[in-house]
Amino acid sequence: MSNLMVDKVATLWPEMVMLAGAVACLMTGLSSQASRRRTVVWIAAATLVIAGIIAAAGTAQATSGVGLAGMAKFIKVAVAAVGLLLLMLNTSSTSQEGVALMRDTPELGGEFFAFFLCSLTGVMLTAGADDLVWLFLALELTSLPTYVMVAMGRQKLEARESAVKYFFLGAMSAALFLYGFALLYGAAGSTQLADIHQYALDNPHDGLLMFGLVLAVVGICFKIAAVPMHFYAADVYQGAASPVTAFLAFVPKSAGFLALLLMLGIVGWPLPQPIAWLIAAIAVATMTVGNVLGLVQSNVKRVLAYSSIAHSGYMLLGVLIGPPGSAPGSGNSATSAIGNGVAAVLFYLLAYGFSTIAAFAVLACLRVENDEAQTYNDLAGLMQRRPALAAVMVVAALSLLGLPPMVGFLGKIYLFGSALTQGYVVLVVIAVLNSAISAGYYLPIAASCIFSKPMRDVQTIEAPGRQAGAVLAAILAVVLGFGGGKLVSSANDAGRVVKQKHADKVSQVDQEKQFTSQ
Amino acid sequence: MGEPINDVALAHFLLTGGLLFVLGMIGFLIRRNLIIMFLCTELMFQGVAVTLVAFSKFHLDVSGQTFVIFVLTIAAAEAALALGLVVLLFRSKHTLDAEAWGELNG
Amino acid sequence: MLTLADSQFSAYAAVGLLVLMAAGFGIFNLIASTLIGPRRRGKVKEMVYESGMNPVGDARRRFNVRFYVVAMTFLLFDVEIVFLYPWAVNFASLGPPEGDQLSLMFLLRMGFFVLTSVVAFVYAWGKGVFRYD
Repeated sequence: MSNLMVDKVATLWPEMVMLAGAVACLMTGLSSQASRRRTVVWIAAATLVIAGIIAAAGTAQATSGVGLAGMAKFIKVAVAAVGLLLLMLNTSSTSQEGVALMRDTPELGGEFFAFFLCSLTGVMLTAGADDLVWLFLALELTSLPTYVMVAMGRQKLEARESAVKYFFLGAMSAALFLYGFALLYGAAGSTQLADIHQYALDNPHDGLLMFGLVLAVVGICFKIAAVPMHFYAADVYQGAASPVTAFLAFVPKSAGFLALLLMLGIVGWPLPQPIAWLIAAIAVATMTVGNVLGLVQSNVKRVLAYSSIAHSGYMLLGVLIGPPGSAPGSGNSATSAIGNGVAAVLFYLLAYGFSTIAAFAVLACLRVENDEAQTYNDLAGLMQRRPALAAVMVVAALSLLGLPPMVGFLGKIYLFGSALTQGYVVLVVIAVLNSAISAGYYLPIAASCIFSKPMRDVQTIEAPGRQAGAVLAAILAVVLGFGGGKLVSSANDAGRVVKQKHADKVSQVDQEKQFTSQ
Repeated sequence: MGEPINDVALAHFLLTGGLLFVLGMIGFLIRRNLIIMFLCTELMFQGVAVTLVAFSKFHLDVSGQTFVIFVLTIAAAEAALALGLVVLLFRSKHTLDAEAWGELNG
Repeated sequence: MLTLADSQFSAYAAVGLLVLMAAGFGIFNLIASTLIGPRRRGKVKEMVYESGMNPVGDARRRFNVRFYVVAMTFLLFDVEIVFLYPWAVNFASLGPPEGDQLSLMFLLRMGFFVLTSVVAFVYAWGKGVFRYD
């Protein structure tokens, strides 16, 4: 018993470091000296670095409910790395001129960075979840801080409205997937994912289990902004401050996809017919809705919100395929990453993350009349004024579109290629058509940066962290496009089902039951 | 934990939980006052709690009841957050009507 | 599978009887007082019943936001206490803290949990939640 608990705790050191860092940020933020309060950014950065190193050095989790044990380590390192990038974006301006320009941006205090770290911790915990209670708490730990971050990040009515909207729909979706969890528990009689997985294998036609799974999937769709829970995305992305929007586009989405993989891992791949149809329908609807509505927007933040929806649709293809070796005759060798749906999703999350963070970072660096740059007109002629930022925006747009040599292209190759090896030809055709539609709004963004004449008085704020973050994200988007092989192979290792000895598992569970029923 | 409940009693409890959940969801979708919408999400959470406890008693497994304690914690955290956000919005808009959100053209 | 209309339903008969009695008592009193009670009107008679106090002002007046903050802080700490109960119930069966490795570990673990609450308390204190002036 005690050994089991200690083993479980030993895999959680990165999370504990993150939470300790969050507490340190909170307490430092209480200080009455402004100079000491400013150190919270550095505390947060140090926390992320330490957590990332511990996660990279640590061993993979011994047990995971549905066998996707390798996922946790990959995600923990990735979240720490992307967290550093997002932290750079969220540093505020230091110079006097910058403060005057950013009157609508409050000085972000200790609370903001504490919530920032808590939310990232939630994603890390989601990846390692092996229990429904754990998974629920991890998802809520990811979401609850983001509601506050949206409200705090920008001193405008829009931000408050979007925070309230985001919160209410988030609470509703949480109740929805929680009810699904309750039904799963009711069907299997255990909250351990391994037990529920075993129950699902023994009783493949259990209606209660299937209903619970469907509710859970629909509830989690909110986190990844997929149809039918997508409609909040445009308003919330527009209302939140751009650095916070970048956070929203990566962090809750990652947690949502991890949770979705764990949920579907309960029934295992290839998915049972009704569930597979459900996921395929959601994928097609999501990518189509996102791309078509993205075409008619004039606000770049709203465009990027619909792009976020569309990309969730693409990634759902990977969720549909699942880890390799699950379909008979899928013909995967250990070296080929194509065919591993989970690996494709993990890699695509990073590819999409870097590209979209670069795009939002450019918007965060620009100011128009004391407000954020938001429209195509604001971006017009950026090439003549700030060539570096314009280049970042072009790279981001092309990577989101999926043009070589950007990382988005590589991500799409793995995603669509994996879907093809599993025979989902129709879905891949729809996805490629959708990518073509998306050129209708990505190319105008790039074109207005390069070719248009400057139309409005756009100023750049003196926030070195943000500009460096924008450039770094764009560099990563290009470099990983050329040399993402290492990342792909580690994603490939991460996305495998590790068969565990079920006998051990059962005895552990029995011990715990014995103990708790005393 | 005593005797398990039989499946008739389980059906009663599940019906109660499901009704609470559905009522909460309907209320959330049709009411426009922010406080009432929030109370409706709480109602949904309580429906889940009833369901979890019923299953816990049915399977004679305590993990369902521990789950409820965690659900209550999250519900309390959400309550604190909701009131904070609603007060923040009320100060600038002086209404709690969800229809009055006009700043975002959604 | 039995239906809802089964004899199991009779287990709720007592609850139903209680509801009927409570509702009946209320309705009976309302009807009786309108039928046989005297009707006299006056300023004092129509005053809101406030347990014998003179009502001052409107009931829907704004409260200071400080009350909400204190109430929310109370709610959060209150919910944390709930976690202590299952622990306390099980702890007695684990034996005394000294000598027993398992119970010592559980004591330390709860100590860590309480520590997190203390951190939250210190934060609330530092934010001035408990300052009344």
